[in-house]
Amino acid sequence: MTNTNRQTLLGSLPTSFDKGPDWLRALRGRAAETLREHGLPTKRTEAWRFTPVRSVVDAEFSREEEGVPSLASPLPDGVTARSLRDVLRSEPELLDGRLDLGGAPTHFAALNTALFDDGLWIDVPAGNVVEAPIELALAITKSAGRGVVYSRVLVTVGDDAELTLVETYAGEEGGQLTNSVVEVDLGCNAKMSHVRVHENAGFQVGRVDVRQAADSAYRSTVVTLGGALLRFDVRCLLQGKGAECQLDGAYLIDGDDHVDHHTVVEHQASHCRSEQTYRGIASGKGTAVFDGIVIVHRGAQKTEAHQENRNLLLSDMATIHTKPHLEIDADDVICSHGATVGSLDQDQLFYLRTRGIPEPLANAMLTYAFLESIVDRVIHEPTRARMREALLTRIPHAEDIRGVT
Amino acid sequence: MLKIEDLHVEVDGKPILKGINLEIEAGQVHAIMGPNGSGKSTLAYVLAGKDGYEVTKGRVLYKGQDLLEMAPELRAAEGLFLGFQYPVAIPGVSNIYFLKAAVNAIRKHRGEDPLDAIDFMKLSKEKAALVQLPDELTKRSVNDGFSGGEKKRNEIFQMAMLEPSLAVLDETDSGLDIDALKVVAEGVNALRGPDRAMLVITHYQRLLDHIVPDVVHVLIDGQIVRTGDKGLAMQLEKEGYAGVRNALQP
Ligand SMILES: Nc1ncnc2c1ncn2[C@@H]1O[C@H](COP(=O)(O)OP(=O)(O)O)[C@@H](O)[C@H]1O
Ligand SMILES: [Mg+2]
Repeated sequence: MTNTNRQTLLGSLPTSFDKGPDWLRALRGRAAETLREHGLPTKRTEAWRFTPVRSVVDAEFSREEEGVPSLASPLPDGVTARSLRDVLRSEPELLDGRLDLGGAPTHFAALNTALFDDGLWIDVPAGNVVEAPIELALAITKSAGRGVVYSRVLVTVGDDAELTLVETYAGEEGGQLTNSVVEVDLGCNAKMSHVRVHENAGFQVGRVDVRQAADSAYRSTVVTLGGALLRFDVRCLLQGKGAECQLDGAYLIDGDDHVDHHTVVEHQASHCRSEQTYRGIASGKGTAVFDGIVIVHRGAQKTEAHQENRNLLLSDMATIHTKPHLEIDADDVICSHGATVGSLDQDQLFYLRTRGIPEPLANAMLTYAFLESIVDRVIHEPTRARMREALLTRIPHAEDIRGVT
Repeated sequence: MLKIEDLHVEVDGKPILKGINLEIEAGQVHAIMGPNGSGKSTLAYVLAGKDGYEVTKGRVLYKGQDLLEMAPELRAAEGLFLGFQYPVAIPGVSNIYFLKAAVNAIRKHRGEDPLDAIDFMKLSKEKAALVQLPDELTKRSVNDGFSGGEKKRNEIFQMAMLEPSLAVLDETDSGLDIDALKVVAEGVNALRGPDRAMLVITHYQRLLDHIVPDVVHVLIDGQIVRTGDKGLAMQLEKEGYAGVRNALQP
């Protein structure tokens, strides 16, 4: 069902919320309040400086009701996947305190909190080690007008439980806007591998908020292949001692793509470890942004945090902004960060050519290898194979690599 | 096979090679010896086609063609091979897959069908055994995390796979212990033949005990100052480059 009334995103906020449990109405009310007060981001909003959302903020959208990702794999034993709307009707207390894991939401996340209608709650009870991956897919099909979709997923992994989640967001090019929020709550010693793929995602604003208890491990691999306007934030709150997160990302852009990845890792407890490796390739007239911040809170001693962003700029018309940064308020820490923007290594290129490999193929081999090192970390084999294939299709002359692998 | 005539090369406007003349015939092995900084690697790079080396005078004929006009991959396809003094690591590109691309690119140039996976594996096993390159290394990323000796062995392994007509080996011996040196020399000797030629660049005489050259040249400050037979290498070993240099003083 499509509501044909078109409104701006802010214009679609109701003045009061009268459905659902008290805590939810209050949560939505606060989100709306924040939005009314601060609005959606502009160029002057520091964290959105390079994200040209104005075309989205000013536009009018109709509301689409297809924001619930579908399960693309059988549900493994011991895992439940329930509709958020159903649970909010029948057992709302189960979700109390779990729909604002990342703290008070702002901007698009606040919009999502105020307006999401339904969503998915995936729960892995304590002690359940789930081997088979759960696959979620959200495919946005083009509607007649310009539509907005609010997608909401909550993942709870109990103490000592393990889960692999693979999310695919694909869309047709067009004016559709997807606003997605995934919240992840990891219990003590819980482990989660999270693969997230964006393919030609059109207009997307998405975020993942992860709350980690002691000794939990969260591993995220994001692969973004094109996108008219994609902004994707991953935020990990390392709240329990000994928690670890590994955030990896690969992005490949071309044409007029604008792809924007942000990460926030907050070391709130001691003995936590975080490691981030993002790699991107920009060609055509595209723009890619990486902005990553590691915050080491006071008392988070024995923190180890590493962050690296490397980029290949393959065209004079493409742009890359990279900004890895650290805010450290503890003294016993090991932290590193670095960023590079460059072109292919001329010595490597020469070496390949002296072996008879034609220049275009040598270029393709090095370009492919640059991103493949991240794609290689996609833990789900079919998705990994699909991503490799997609790289071969998208990297100029990489088709020839197929003949020799 | 190779004819270098009055070759002058500059790097960043600085003259490095100052009139090299050298002719190598099929079946011959020539050695170039010279102190550090004399221009040995520069010569090797110019022959292989590296950017940044400006030829200000002279020419190089390879199999009768103007070598300097050819792209590096074309030189390779026509049978020129450079064994690097410092082989570069290429993380993410596996040795074996890169070599398959190379072998098949060269076969294509010759109008031959590509080797299929099975024939290729057979060939690579045989050649890796020749230079005692562990199987595990053939699968790793090119030179990534290889020791100095492993890199040099990998160069000879590649040479054996590509079967060049002219191999230029730039200090393939440096950093090798005596056993590794023998292995590398055997790999090189296995490739010697009436249709092939080699230019072996070295700093020390000891490699030439194992790869016996037909002709030895001494390169000092961008010029070939002496040419002789393998006895010249012995003399150098005894008297050092200083001795040769002094002998040249008028
Ligand atoms: N890429 C380069 N840039 C600047 N100088 C160079 C470069 N390559 C070589 N040279 C200079 O050229 C001279 C010869 O170097 P090289 O050919 O490497 O000597 P060899 O291999 O005999 O030790 C040296 O003085 C070296 O400093
Ligand atoms: Mg040298």
